[in-house]
Amino acid sequence: MTSDSWLKIIQNARKTAVIEDGKRKVHFLMEDGKEMVEEYSTDTNVVVRRAWKQKNGFGTNIGWMVEVGDPELKQNNIEIYGIEESSNTVFNFLLQPIITRRITKASLEWRIRNLSYPESVYSITAEHDGTMTVRTSNKKYFKKIKIPDLERIGLKPEQERISFRHQYNTLIITYKKPPQLLDVEKKILAAVLQLKTDSKDVQCPTS
Amino acid sequence: MFDPFYCNYLNRNTQILKYHVSNYFLFQISTNVQEVREVTRIERIGAHSHIRGLGLNDSLEPRNVSQGMVGQLMARRAAGVILEMIKESKIAGRAILLAGQPGTGKTAIAMGMAQALGLDTPFTSMAGSEIYSLEMSKTEALTQAIRKSIGVRIKEETEIIEGEVVEIQVDRPATGIGVKVGKLTLKTTEMETIYDLGNKMIDCLMKEKVQAGDVITIDKATGKINRLGRSFTRARDYDATGSQTRFVQCPEGELQKRKEVVHTVTLHEVDVINSRTHGFLALFSGDTGEIKSEVRDQINAKVAEWREEGKAEIVPGVLFIDEVHMLDIECFSFLNRALENEMAPVVIMATNRGITRIRGTHYKSPHGIPIDLLDRAIIVPTSPYQEKELKEILKIRCEEEDCEMTDDALTVLTRIASETSLRYAIQLITTASLVSRRRKTTEVSIDDVKRVYSLFLDENRSTQFLKEYQDDFMFNEFYFSLTWLEYIILILFVNRRLGVHRSDHDDNAKNDGPKSPHACLAAVGSCQVVIEENPLKIIILRKSFKNNKSALVYRGPKQMKTLAASGETVE
Repeated sequence: MTSDSWLKIIQNARKTAVIEDGKRKVHFLMEDGKEMVEEYSTDTNVVVRRAWKQKNGFGTNIGWMVEVGDPELKQNNIEIYGIEESSNTVFNFLLQPIITRRITKASLEWRIRNLSYPESVYSITAEHDGTMTVRTSNKKYFKKIKIPDLERIGLKPEQERISFRHQYNTLIITYKKPPQLLDVEKKILAAVLQLKTDSKDVQCPTS
Repeated sequence: MFDPFYCNYLNRNTQILKYHVSNYFLFQISTNVQEVREVTRIERIGAHSHIRGLGLNDSLEPRNVSQGMVGQLMARRAAGVILEMIKESKIAGRAILLAGQPGTGKTAIAMGMAQALGLDTPFTSMAGSEIYSLEMSKTEALTQAIRKSIGVRIKEETEIIEGEVVEIQVDRPATGIGVKVGKLTLKTTEMETIYDLGNKMIDCLMKEKVQAGDVITIDKATGKINRLGRSFTRARDYDATGSQTRFVQCPEGELQKRKEVVHTVTLHEVDVINSRTHGFLALFSGDTGEIKSEVRDQINAKVAEWREEGKAEIVPGVLFIDEVHMLDIECFSFLNRALENEMAPVVIMATNRGITRIRGTHYKSPHGIPIDLLDRAIIVPTSPYQEKELKEILKIRCEEEDCEMTDDALTVLTRIASETSLRYAIQLITTASLVSRRRKTTEVSIDDVKRVYSLFLDENRSTQFLKEYQDDFMFNEFYFSLTWLEYIILILFVNRRLGVHRSDHDDNAKNDGPKSPHACLAAVGSCQVVIEENPLKIIILRKSFKNNKSALVYRGPKQMKTLAASGETVE
């Protein structure tokens, strides 16, 4: 996929926009039936939340997958699935790590909360399979992080753009946006800003 | 406070479990090692267990003896071509008829095709008589069989957890009842995480006897636990390990992975799950009843939709109907129509009949199948085996049944097979091996075969025997002395005489017995009737039988119905 094809998908999508609570909420219905919602801050015009509608193999909705922004509160699935990461609050170190994503003007950011290990144990590498891999030298945490923003425009992560720091039990990874991504985002933002947002009660097309 | 019952119930393995007995008070209990009992897989040997495929090479040329198949080269080649057709799965709704004498390997060829197709292609095997059920109409049974033979391959992405168990800890309340709390620590080469366990998962883990050092996968959506083996790092934990213990490497990377899995379900299963009156439990009970055609239509539409969206793939399979001449004309006309459907499977039929009556009609047709269906079918003939081939088959069967046989015994057996039938000879293998085992030898000799040959009759000798001694057998006279017309007249007559209606037989009727025995004679004509009053007995003597050997005894109206079954002879 190249940056052009992603731009084209966005341009061809049926878009609906509304401004609510200081956020410009845009709903995209792609030509292949996928649905995406983006929320832009009206002040900074930066995406604060992006979510995709998830469907299972039989076409039934199974909720939204949050790509950027705070994840939705999960219900307690332990009785449904029978297994879940431990969230014992008595022992603080057992809290399961949670990844959230943010986008700033110049960079993509990941925050991995509840990681109590010291900064020296972490190493983050850009992999050839298009992911960023977080490793710990004490073998306690390992995560392959996909970067959908780069994947969509056909870029591979580059090691020199990755930086990270650790504070307040949180590992913050910053990836400096490459110029191609900045370019694409600018174009998408331009398209989004043109959308009419005056009507209060709009219905998003779903199919 | 501590109940030894827990000990037995939970802790079968040598593993230290922590018991949660009020206020986080922890006990440590190590328990006895459970005896390790090897469970060998028990396989039963069936008539076609020795068949593992069609025995063809890559260019579809049949090898003379291969994969349990012997001879029948033309038919096997034809089956190979059909197999290719099925594998390409482009053409739906073809009918293939395997026709040949009994014991020429029709079912064997069908089984070979099933084996060659593998597990991924649905293969349904049924006998023609299976469709006759009181609970289900014939067409419904056929429709279900057809839909059982069409698979839907569905791709799905599931989340699995794969890792080595570091620690498993289950806390249960002191009272023994109530919510159990469990924690499972899993690790890979890169990471380690503690998981909370739900009640169901705890039970599953206990049932699978998962313990520290095992490498397991858990399907998050279904909760299915799969033990891959033990970790190499724990290989030296125990001195003795069962032979089936597999050692595997600790998994790499993340604990939770997304994996694409492919399920193949049959259309019938989708039907059953979606038929509201039964629910999916009907799949296990087997009691599906009739499924409404609307449900089927909806499912067809849905499956077509999935197929267009690339979510599912249709796998037309094979429906094998053995003894197809047992189907009647309604089924045949239904099949004609069903074969034209684009979702139809390939239908393989087998029959051993020649020109015979089509069931349900008075018309005769080749193989007992209407001409219009025969026209739609490709007919593959099988021919009787040559003596050499018979010998090979018997040899294979001997191997399958773990029976060693001397060469001359095998030659004799082959001779028997060619004179009588292959099936009879195969029966003799088992019996002869049992006889030889009694003699405490490992090899079946010619004497053993001779012995069982004299012990058990084959069909020809049995017929011969019957022809010679048929007069001595039971019921023989009855059928030969009374025609059915005479029989009915007799029953009606006796009824009349006794003043009993056919509908109500009761014991009171016994009292007013028949008055004139000679009237019987008049009615039945050619028979001489003797009636005794106490107990009520009507003896009919055919005049044609001079020695009075055969007669029919009839006692009381109650036995009227069982007359045919309980006729007795009097000297």
